[in-house]
Amino acid sequence: MNSFVALLPVIIFLIVGVGIAFIGAKSKNDTSSANGFLNKYFLGNRNMGAFVLAMTTIATYGSVSSFVGGPGQGWSIGWGWVYMATVQVTTLYLLYGILGKKMALVSRKLGAVTVVDVIRERFNSPLLGILSALVIVVFFTTTMIAQFVGGAKLFEAVTGQSYVIGLIIFGIAALLFTVVGGFRGVVLTDALAGIIMLVGIVVLAGGILNAGGGFASIMQTISETKPHMMQPLADGNMPLGLYFTQWLLVGIFTFALPQSVVRTMGYKDTKSLHRATLVGTIIIGFMMIGVTSLGILSAGVLTDPIESYGAGNADDIIPQAIMITLPSWLASIAIVGPVAASISTVSSLLISATSALVKDIWLAAKPAANAENVNERSINIVSRVATIVLALVVVGLSVTPPSVIWKINMFAFGGLETAFAFVLLGALFWKRATKVGALTSMIAGVAAYVVSMALGFKIGGLHQITIGLSVALLGMIIGSLLSKKQEPSKIFFPEK
Amino acid sequence: MKDTQTSAEQLLTYADKIAQSHKEAKATVVALVLTIVAWAVLGFGLAGIDVKIAGMPLWALGGTVGTWIVAVLIVVIMNKTIFRDFNLDDEGVSQDAAVNGGTNE
Repeated sequence: MNSFVALLPVIIFLIVGVGIAFIGAKSKNDTSSANGFLNKYFLGNRNMGAFVLAMTTIATYGSVSSFVGGPGQGWSIGWGWVYMATVQVTTLYLLYGILGKKMALVSRKLGAVTVVDVIRERFNSPLLGILSALVIVVFFTTTMIAQFVGGAKLFEAVTGQSYVIGLIIFGIAALLFTVVGGFRGVVLTDALAGIIMLVGIVVLAGGILNAGGGFASIMQTISETKPHMMQPLADGNMPLGLYFTQWLLVGIFTFALPQSVVRTMGYKDTKSLHRATLVGTIIIGFMMIGVTSLGILSAGVLTDPIESYGAGNADDIIPQAIMITLPSWLASIAIVGPVAASISTVSSLLISATSALVKDIWLAAKPAANAENVNERSINIVSRVATIVLALVVVGLSVTPPSVIWKINMFAFGGLETAFAFVLLGALFWKRATKVGALTSMIAGVAAYVVSMALGFKIGGLHQITIGLSVALLGMIIGSLLSKKQEPSKIFFPEK
Repeated sequence: MKDTQTSAEQLLTYADKIAQSHKEAKATVVALVLTIVAWAVLGFGLAGIDVKIAGMPLWALGGTVGTWIVAVLIVVIMNKTIFRDFNLDDEGVSQDAAVNGGTNE
């Protein structure tokens, strides 16, 4: 492919994105105090409207794996995989409905800028704050690397440019979106990315349907060649236990992912939240059902065994489908979808990880008197430098990721859910929850999850998320009930 | 912000708003249960019926697009009946919220 044409859509996306980030940075609000800067850089002055709130939540959640791994599984397993992916229609209303209002109320009262701020204040525990921040930094970093690697591989396969060039372009984009615009830059570029992801899905669907002779014809081909794809249990490839654990992992407990939760602290008013719940549920359903179905449709076009495609694993299906079914100029547009998915996830994790480093570790570690004396200018510089350094580390490690990164990344998604689900639920909704309960829940839950994952230990053949969540739940309940009652602040449980 | 203030008249105190947020959280859990039931019925429940639409098995259509439509309807109902508008910033605002809450353009 002509290299300029191949790169043009990606480059246009990046230029428009940087422009949007610049506009986002020009907020009308003056930041006169240190907390003013923190509020602006890490939370966009709590100014998100409905559409941006919905799109940034979806774009943060929808990653390059939604575009590559999921459809690849769809190609081999069939409609059962799409049926499973449909559980994600609950993610937006669970996040907004369970945490949306209370996080907004409590964080405004506290002047909290990060999710960790809320947890630390509720349990009055600096230790829990530092621990939460470390969990976030470690898991976010490995997730960012995985996103960059996935995005750059795809970029290399489809455009013919080198992997490292892809990495550099993505790194610059994610960095500029974040460092220039802060949280507001991130969420506005997320909205752009979300739209482009939808466009990418539609373009590729058109290509595949065209190449396969239409939907009914593709279904006919699959019925004849791979009948298991038409059954919910897919001849044993999609057992009931997997449905159950996927409900937990990518459905119900996604509400606890800190990169999602922080968005419930940053919206403007309750009308925006309600509208975002509706708009978001419509869009995430379209996106997740649509993108996973692309894998099914590909099975009507890519009919040979998996070994015939690329490196011969399921992740090669979508790049192959893009190249085989689309003319090169359309392929270069379709590729922007997964690229946008990758960058939007990274930028959101980057700003959240930076907030954990700066606000929850650096500032929190200073004695209270000192922290107030840190002036806005130095916080501004430290925050932006931290963003840049973290981005450079992530891009650097993505060139040849050490194997330990992959191991940690396997634990990241479930690890974050395990760490935060019951700590957040206890913090907000259970008056009797104590510091000891929260610490036990987080430490024992994550340890149980990571160890059982590493050892491949399962109970009843179920994914280890069941072990992690059970231990985290028991840790919260038992730890709280066995420890001394801790009267929570009136901000969390006001008296009538 | 004017319209939110008029509809917020019954929820003036911070305690009322927190109580309302608890109510909405509980309703959301009910919504989840209903969605799971719809998902199971429209997918697994229809798996035994050998009907295809444009070559797509009925259970696959019900379990995916059907569940999605149910989830959207549930959100519409919750928005109309359970979720209430109120001002996130007024009444007993802390100093920080006063500084940053004044940005309602």
